[in-house]
This record gives sequence, C-alpha cells and structure tokens, in this order.
Amino acid sequence: MVPIPRKIRVLIAKPGLDGHDRGAKVVARALRDAGMEVIYTGLRQMPEDIVEAAIQEDVDAIGLSSLSGAHMTLFPEVVRLLKKRGSGEIVVVGGGIIPADDIPKLKRAGIKAVFGPGTPLGEIVSFFKKAGKGA
Amino acid sequence: MRDLVAALLQGDKRAAGKLISLIEDDEPEAVDALQRIYPHTGRAHVVGFTGPPGVGKSSLINRLVRTFRARGKTIGVVAVDPTSPYTGGAVLGDRIRMADTGIDPGVFIRSMATRGHAGGLALATFDAVRVLDAMGSQVVFVETVGAGQSEVEIATRAHTVVVVEMPLTGDVVQTMKAGILEIGDVYVVNKVDLGNADVLVANLKFQLAAREGWTPPIVRTAALEGQGIEELADVLERHAIFLERSGFRHGREVARARQEILETAQRLLVRGVSEGSPTGPLFDRLANAVADRETDPHAAARKLLESHPKKKRPR
Ligand SMILES: Nc1nc2c(ncn2[C@@H]2O[C@H](COP(=O)(O)OP(=O)(O)OP(=O)(O)O)[C@@H](O)[C@H]2O)c(=O)[nH]1
Ligand SMILES: [Mg+2]
Repeated sequence: MVPIPRKIRVLIAKPGLDGHDRGAKVVARALRDAGMEVIYTGLRQMPEDIVEAAIQEDVDAIGLSSLSGAHMTLFPEVVRLLKKRGSGEIVVVGGGIIPADDIPKLKRAGIKAVFGPGTPLGEIVSFFKKAGKGA
Repeated sequence: MRDLVAALLQGDKRAAGKLISLIEDDEPEAVDALQRIYPHTGRAHVVGFTGPPGVGKSSLINRLVRTFRARGKTIGVVAVDPTSPYTGGAVLGDRIRMADTGIDPGVFIRSMATRGHAGGLALATFDAVRVLDAMGSQVVFVETVGAGQSEVEIATRAHTVVVVEMPLTGDVVQTMKAGILEIGDVYVVNKVDLGNADVLVANLKFQLAAREGWTPPIVRTAALEGQGIEELADVLERHAIFLERSGFRHGREVARARQEILETAQRLLVRGVSEGSPTGPLFDRLANAVADRETDPHAAARKLLESHPKKKRPR
C-alpha cells in the first residue's frame, strides 16, 4: 500500500479592516493547486478569531495578509495568542503591503516569513510545503 | 504525546482539532482513539444539511448556531467541501459564512475536504462528529457538499436531515433531484427575500407525505436577514423529541451501525488484499488461477474471504 502523505492544512486570514482580499485568494488557490487544504476565513478577522479557527482546524501554518498598515500590531498578536494557547508550533507568515523596515521587527516577533507584493507564488508555495513538513 | 482523548473528554478544543486530523490522515493512533471515544458518544443531536451549491447551507448553520447558543446548547459543525481531483488540494470556504461565532467557547467548527470520498461527505466526517459529540457538543451540524449523491449518505448518518432549496426566478419548472423528497425530515426554502417562494413551497407541500408519523415541515427562511431561523430551530428540536419518543432514534442508530460495519469490513478487506499485506500473495495466486481458468471469480472471492491473515492490523 502506498503511504498517503499527511495533508498540509493552511489557514489564510485577513486581519484588520481593509477591504479587499484578492492577494489572499490568489495565494489560497496556489496552495490548493499544490495539493494543500486551505481554510479561508474571509475579511475583517480579529487575532482572537484567527487563533481560535487555527486551533479548531488544526492547521500547520497561518498566512496573514494586510494592506492597511495594521500588521505591526495584528501579526505579532496572532503569534502571542497562539503561544498562550499552547499552539506555538503553528507557523505564522505575513504578506501584503509591508514596508521593508518592518520585516526584521516582524521576524523578531515570531513571524517566520514575510512575502511582499510580487513575491513569486512558487516561493510562497514551497515555504508552506516546508512549514507543513516540519510540523 | 499528551493523551488527546483524555483532554478531549475535558472539553479541550485543541485536542479535538488534533484528533480529527489524525482521523482524516488515517494515522494508526486514530483507531485506538476512536475506540476510546466511542463510549462517550451518542448524546449529540446530529443534523445534516444538504442542498445545491450556494443555496445558503452555511449561512443557515451560522444563524442556527447563534440561536441554539442563545438556547443554552453547545454546538459543533463539520462543513465539507470538495477536494480537487486533479491536485488533491481544496479551498474550504464554509467558514467565511460562519465568522459570526468567533471565539464563543461553546462552538467548534471544522472544515473538511472530501479527499476523494464520493457522496458529498469525507470518509472522516462522522468520526469527526463523534469527536465533537464526546467533547460535549449537544447539537452537531454537518454540511455536505451540495452536489452528487450527498443525500444518500447523509440520510443514513444524521438523526435529522434538512434539505435546503431556494426558489428559482423566471419562468422555470422547478424539479427536485431524484430522491430528495424521500430523505428530508425538514425542508427549508431559503432566500425567500428574493421572492417567488410560494410556488416552490406549494410544490413541496403537494409532494411531501407523512412518513412514520412525521410530516416533514417546510420552513421559509432568509438566512442573511435571520428570518425564519427561530422557527427552524423549533422544528429541529421538535424532530429530536419525536425521534426520541417514537424510538426511531434508536432505529436510525442501528441502521447507521449496520452501514458502518459493512463499510468498514469492506475497507478492511480491500486493505487486507492490497499489495504488501499478508493476503497479497494469495490474492495474486487467485488472480492467476482465475485467469488460467483453474477456478472462477466467485470461488476465488470466497477463498479470499476465508483466509485469515496471521497478523491483522485493526484498521
Ligand atoms: N438573498 C439571500 N442571499 C442568501 C441567503 N442565504 C445565503 N445567501 C447568499 O448566498 C450565497 C451562498 O451562501 P452559502 O451560505 O455560502 O451557501 P452554501 O449552500 O453553504 O454554499 P456551498 O457551501 O458553496 O454549497 C452567499 O452569497 C450568501 O450571502 C438568503 O436568505 N437570501
Ligand atoms: Mg457552504
């Protein structure tokens, strides 16, 4: 019997109040096409909601997208809440419009990778693949 | 590893999430975990939702979750979406419509991909329902993929089946999919805010008959506005009481067990004869014997059934 590899599950969420999620949807589809299961939670999610969903869905990784500049508070808050709930092993990555200066700060706060606009989809996909394997 | 089952029985959501994954991924630990979980199940009222894509199943469940929470019930949801047959991946979007429930400690929502299982459900769906039942969810909603043969399977597995339809606009004759009139315990006509509901309701009323002392009610709803939700919740509670009092709940449990035992036996058999298993070589020999006309397929199948592999894995 051929062993079936464990499915990689990813939550894609869009914290904050800004209104469109085209980028998040493109990433979600690319991950699906790479064989992953993507739970898409839609717009305007609070960090608490995202963490709760990630635990119930038992995902390997969370992709957060922000276009509004709220990433400096919202992204680290997700990492903090995950740790608090004992689910610190879930990999958190960010994307969207994020100034270069903020990237090292986000990484120090536990965001494992930051993908700006124009990042090749293949790069994002292989990052999530690795994140899934490591879990 | 921490004892997930013990944690689950304490109501730990993280444990529930992990256990459902183990079941979905068909990990060896899952069989043992499910054996330990089983005695703690059988309390939840399992309500299945079926109906065409986009009819409003997730939106209705979202509303019902809030209504039942207000009535003091804890709720589980398992929402199934299709896996792409080409890539094996899936985008699971039902949760978008259920964002209202947020961080309510009395709600647990799990999205699930079919992973190639036919019938509008995943193989793991009703084991996941058991996980939620054991965790203490008093009502568990199951949302099927609204296409194909989902009706048949949900009908044997849920206590209450809700068939959701919506009025079509324009001058069309609205016909029901074959079988749809036989399986519903409750019929919902959703999106009544868009108009044209009367024809569909009349049509359903004309065709639905009482079965075993229960006439399927038809409930009009507008899920986005929250219209008709209290009535739907009342109807679901009434059906639960009806099943209990009439003894049909037990009857459904037995029918479900029957089907599950058969399906599991079938699966064990398939695995038992697959390559690399102790029975594999016998299977190969029999296949050659049938091809060489030394025996016939029926006799070979009997031989296969009679052969007991030395070391069985209870999977
Ligand atoms: N006008 C109107 N729109 C509705 C109503 N209920 C749901 N919708 C809309 O219909 C669309 C589909 O709703 P869902 O709840 O996702 O439907 P579903 O049956 O779960 O869909 P699938 O899971 O894709 O099969 C969404 O855009 C909803 O906003 C309703 O009562 N009235
Ligand atoms: Mg849905």
